[in-house]
Amino acid sequence: MTTLFAPRLSRRSLGRLNILGIAVTALALLLPAWGQDKGADEIRIGVVMPITGREAKPGQYQREGIELAIKQINDGGGIFVKSRGKKLPIKEIFYDDGSDQSRSAGMVERAMSSDGVVAVLGGYSTALGEAESVMPDRYQTPWITPGAGATTVFSRGYEYVFGTLSPIDLLGSTTAQYLGNLVDKGKLSKGLKVALALENTDHGIDYGRGIDNWNHEHPGYFNVVFSEKFELGATDFSGLLQKVKNAHADIFLADAHLQDYITMHRQYIQSGMYHQMVSYGARGPEADARKALGAATDYIFAGIWWSSRLSYPQVKKFNADYQAFAGHAPDSWYPATAYDAMRILAAAIEHAGSLDKTAIRDQLRKVELKDSLLPGQVLRFGKNGQIAGSFVIVQNKPEDKVDIVFPLDAATGESIAPKPKAH
Amino acid sequence: MSAADLLNLFIAAVLLAGVYAAMSVGMTIIYGVMKIVNLAHAGFLMLGAYFVYEAYERFHIDPLLGVLLAFPVFFLLGMGVHWLLVRRIATSDQPTLTSLLLLFGVWLVLQNLGYLIWGNSDRAILTPRTLSSLEIGPISFPTVRLVVFGAAVVSLVVLEFVLHKTWFGRSVRALMQNNEAGQIVGVNVERTAQVAFGVGIAFAGAAGGLLAMLYSFSPDFGATFQLRAFVIIVLGGLESFGGVAIGALILALAETFCILVLPASYQPAIAFSLLVVALIVLPDGVAGLWNKRRRWA
Repeated sequence: MTTLFAPRLSRRSLGRLNILGIAVTALALLLPAWGQDKGADEIRIGVVMPITGREAKPGQYQREGIELAIKQINDGGGIFVKSRGKKLPIKEIFYDDGSDQSRSAGMVERAMSSDGVVAVLGGYSTALGEAESVMPDRYQTPWITPGAGATTVFSRGYEYVFGTLSPIDLLGSTTAQYLGNLVDKGKLSKGLKVALALENTDHGIDYGRGIDNWNHEHPGYFNVVFSEKFELGATDFSGLLQKVKNAHADIFLADAHLQDYITMHRQYIQSGMYHQMVSYGARGPEADARKALGAATDYIFAGIWWSSRLSYPQVKKFNADYQAFAGHAPDSWYPATAYDAMRILAAAIEHAGSLDKTAIRDQLRKVELKDSLLPGQVLRFGKNGQIAGSFVIVQNKPEDKVDIVFPLDAATGESIAPKPKAH
Repeated sequence: MSAADLLNLFIAAVLLAGVYAAMSVGMTIIYGVMKIVNLAHAGFLMLGAYFVYEAYERFHIDPLLGVLLAFPVFFLLGMGVHWLLVRRIATSDQPTLTSLLLLFGVWLVLQNLGYLIWGNSDRAILTPRTLSSLEIGPISFPTVRLVVFGAAVVSLVVLEFVLHKTWFGRSVRALMQNNEAGQIVGVNVERTAQVAFGVGIAFAGAAGGLLAMLYSFSPDFGATFQLRAFVIIVLGGLESFGGVAIGALILALAETFCILVLPASYQPAIAFSLLVVALIVLPDGVAGLWNKRRRWA
C-alpha cells in the first residue's frame, strides 16, 4: 500500500531534525537582537526622497536639509539617549524613490521593516507622501514628511504620521488673504474676477478649497469666474489657457509643479495674456524656473513655507551653513522644512530617552522646536500630526530679486500690484 | 468664443501636431523596417535635448543649428547601438519580448547616464525666440512652435524624398512591405536595418533637440512623449510616414479642441481613448483606411 507521506524517519534522523529545529529557532530569536546590536551605538534614521525623476530637484534640496541637520547633530556628538547613558550618532539610511509612488511606499516599508530605523523622513510632494503614509502605523514607526502638505495625508487618523508643511488649504487662503490685503491697501480694486487652474491632485484641490473658503468668509473681495483642473506633465496648455482667456478674469492663480509652471507660463506669455496678478501656487522663485523663463517670471508671486530672506537670526545662520554644506544657497523653501523635520525628530528622541519607537512618537506629539526656521519660529505638531504654521508670500522682482511681501511684519519689500503690463 | 479665438486654437493644434510628428517619425522608421518597438526612444529624445542644450550653452550654437548637428551625431550613435546590441536580436515579423526588454534596458541605462552627467536639475533653453510670437492681425503664432513645425515638415518631406528616390529608401520600403521578398530581390537586410536604425535614432535625437526649445527637461524627460508617439504611430498605421503626420494632427486636434468641452484634466484620457478606438476600429491606422479606399477606387 502506498502512502502519501515520505518513509518514516528513524529516531536518529528525528534527533538530528530536532537539533536543526532548535538551531533555526535560536537563530531566528537571535537575529533581531543582532540587528539591534548592529544599531546599538548609532541611531538609524531612514530617509526616502526622490533624487531622480520629476521631483528630483526638490527631493535633492530636502535631502540636503536633512543631511545638514544630521551633520550638525553628529558634529556635536549625536543625540543623548538616557537609556544608553550616552550620546549616539545618527546613521542615515537613504533610499531614492525615483519620484515613483509605489517605489516610494516600498522604500519606506523596507526601511521600517528591515533596516532597524527608529523613524523615517520622507515624502516630497503630496502624491509620494500619500503613498508612504500608509506604512508608519503598519510598522509602528514614526514618519515625518517635510514635503507633503495635503490634508488627505493627515485626515485618516494615523498615529505615527507627522508633517512639517502647513496645510495646502492654508496656502490657498493665505494667497487670497494677501490679495485681499492689496485690495484693502487700494492697490487692487474690490470685486476682481479670479481664474483658477489647478493641478489634478489633492494639492491642487486643497489650494482651490483654501481660496474658496477665504472668499466665502470675506464676501465681495473677489469672484472666482473660472476653475478647472489639469493633468500633471501636460504637453500643451493652449486649450486650458484659451478657456482662462475667455473667462476675462483679472487675476490668474494656478497651482502647479515646477515643470508644468515652466511650460504653462511659456505658453501664457506666447499667447500675449495679461492679468493684474499671477501666481503658480508654491512655485515662483525657483532658480531653474528663472533660468527657463528669464524676465517673464518677474512679478509672479508665490505662497511658500519658508524664505531665506526671513530676518530671524537662526535663518541667517542656516543660510550660511547650508551654503557651506551644499555649495549653493537655499533655492526656495525645500531644505528648511526638511532641516526642521530632522531637528524636531532629534529633540523627540532626546526627550523619549530611548530608541523605543512608540516613546519617540509620544514625544513628537508634545515636543516644541523653539528656534524653528519656519515663520513664527516655533514648530509643534497639531493633533492630526501636521503643523499649522503660517506662509510667507514672496514676489519675484527684476534682476532675480525675490522679496517677502506678506505678512507685512516679515516683508522685505513692497508688493508691486497690479504687475506692469510688459510682463 | 470668437472666430479669431477658434482660429488661434486651430493654429495651436496644428503647431502641436508638428511637435508630435517630429517626435514620432524615428519610432516609425525603426518599427517599419525591423518590427521593433523602440522603447529607448524617450532616452534618445532626452539625449537630443541635452545635446542641443550643451551646444547652445557651451558653444553658443543656435538651437536650430544644434538640431541639424544632432542628426549626424545621433545617426552614428544609432548605428553603434545597432551594431553593439540590436543586431543580436533574432529577426521577426512581430515585435518580440526580447527586443522590448533590450530597448527598455537601454532606456534605463541612458536615463541613469543622464543623471550621472547632468544631475537632476531642470534645464531649459531660453533664446529671444522662446517667448516671442508672430502676430498677424488677431492671429498669434508662437515663434518657437512655428520653427519646430517647420522643422517637422521639412523632416517629413526629406524622408519622403529619400524613401522614394534613393536605393536605400527603396530598400527600406521593400523591407517594410515584405521582408522575405526584399531579400529575394537583393536587399541587404542587415545593412538596411542598421542604417534604418541609425536614421530612426537620428530623428529621435533631432526631435529631442526641437522639444528642448519648448519644454524644460531632466534625465527623466521623454516618457510622456514616447507614449504619445506610440498613440500616433498606431493611429497613423505603424509603418506609414504620411500616416504619422495625419495621426499627429488627429491627436493634437482632439487634445486641443476636446478641452473646450471637457475639463483639461481629461487630456491624457483623450489620447488613450483614441488609441483604443484606433486599435478596435482602425487596426491598420489611417494609412490602412487610405489604402483600402485606393483599392476600391
